[in-house]
Amino acid sequence: MITTEGLTRRFGDLVAVDRLDLDVRKGEIFGFLGPNGAGKTTTIRMLAALIAPTSGTAEIAGKQLGAANREIHRRVGVLTETPGLYRRLSAWDNLVFFAKLYRVTDPAGQAERYLKLFDLWDRRDAPAGSYSKGMRQKLAIARALLHEPEILFLDEPTASLDPEAAKVVRETIERLRSKERTIFLCTHNLDEADRLCDRVALFNTRLIKVGEPAAMREEMYGRRTVIHLVDPRPGIEDALNLPFVKKIDRIDEALVVSLNDPERENPLLVERLVELGVGIRYVNELRMSLEDLYLDLMEDGDATA
Amino acid sequence: MQRLSVILIKEWREALRNKMVLFGVIFLPLFLVAFSVYMVIQGGDTDDPIAQIVLFNTSLMYFLLLPAIIPLAIAVYSIVGEKEQATLEPLLATPISDLELFLGKALASVIPALAINWISFGVFLGATRLFVGSVPLQTLTSPWIASIFGLAPLLALFSVLVTMLVSSRASDARAAYQFSSFAILPGIIPLIVYSSRKTLVNLMLVGIEAAVLLVISAVLLYFAIRVFRREQILTRWK
Repeated sequence: MITTEGLTRRFGDLVAVDRLDLDVRKGEIFGFLGPNGAGKTTTIRMLAALIAPTSGTAEIAGKQLGAANREIHRRVGVLTETPGLYRRLSAWDNLVFFAKLYRVTDPAGQAERYLKLFDLWDRRDAPAGSYSKGMRQKLAIARALLHEPEILFLDEPTASLDPEAAKVVRETIERLRSKERTIFLCTHNLDEADRLCDRVALFNTRLIKVGEPAAMREEMYGRRTVIHLVDPRPGIEDALNLPFVKKIDRIDEALVVSLNDPERENPLLVERLVELGVGIRYVNELRMSLEDLYLDLMEDGDATA
Repeated sequence: MQRLSVILIKEWREALRNKMVLFGVIFLPLFLVAFSVYMVIQGGDTDDPIAQIVLFNTSLMYFLLLPAIIPLAIAVYSIVGEKEQATLEPLLATPISDLELFLGKALASVIPALAINWISFGVFLGATRLFVGSVPLQTLTSPWIASIFGLAPLLALFSVLVTMLVSSRASDARAAYQFSSFAILPGIIPLIVYSSRKTLVNLMLVGIEAAVLLVISAVLLYFAIRVFRREQILTRWK
């Protein structure tokens, strides 16, 4: 749905996006993660045919960037970092205006549909400026969806929102998940990306890594089981040195055991501990967060840059 | 060009909800028409025919100022308002062409300016007839008619182009307003000429001013169209 090859954008001497190669699949929520100033917004602007790349090529919804920009505008929806609403106009006027610009067949019908979908129908005649931040963000998402785009670009959709409003927006994005629509989610909220995205790309001017969050975590850290012991006696690590155990670390009263297949190997570990007469408080999987992964990879990226 | 009308309607809807714009678009013409009529009535009360002509001529000057002043108010808020509300990027993400956006913004200021100016002029003539008894046709000469109907659109165009260029660089409406206000200067030229008493407003003077305005406006138009490119708007506008 989105394919880029060597996509680069310079502003004078500054390289904002450096040789970006991406392949975003139809129907997935694709997280584009990176720190402030990484070039995420510039990337979205290039992919939405708002600014031209300095070099490289891209195909967006089957259309060549540069050669069919107006067609790309028809096929993508963009939620910019700030909602960008006409504050003096009502929510209804805002949506109908954009629906007409997109030449939607039934602008009024489509505005009604999305106002109802996002629970804004009762306040449709109120000026957008009187809306709360969360409502404005929902209205902006509705605007980006009016023309039923194949690709939806969301640039920091929950930035500057309070937790409640952010939750509403996240739930809205979740509701938009569809086989027919690709969502390109630009964020530095890693928890949000972890919850919503099928795949993520870590990016800081250049692409650092792409993959499914779980698979990336597994690749980076492996799978680890934490066993909290009642009486962690010395030397227990040696007694647990079973053939499938890759590594054992001790953290306070717990053992952190690196495994290949915890579903099969955890019962064997517990069995061995019971044989040794070691009391077990509880056993759980050590899940590294996407934040851990992000910080480690960004550090590596900085080191290799 | 169907999108052009969509832009125009949106611009006017927004302008009608903006008190600052409404002040410039409604209060100012009302004030100037009232003041013009007052001057003509004052002229009617005197027996001095020269004083009557002077007062009537001075009243007519206002109808060369209005087409320059009105677009200023609309265009400043139209462009700086988009910047302040961060609406330009979503707008540019639609399939609208750069030219449609540019024309939409420009015409949204020029059309009401001319309509209000000519309506105000009609109200002025009507009020003059009502209060003074007749319109002094010897004073309302063809150079004045040419100015009000021929020069006024050029004055409005010049004002809009200057305001659009200034607003593209300004970060707030007040600064844009101040820097754009010199766009009313061409509207004052006939007033300066008339006040100097060296010559009366004549067709040659109107023709020269129209030609100069056309040339300057063509240059400004060239730059304004360049400034109104997507890439420029998103990366260079402040």
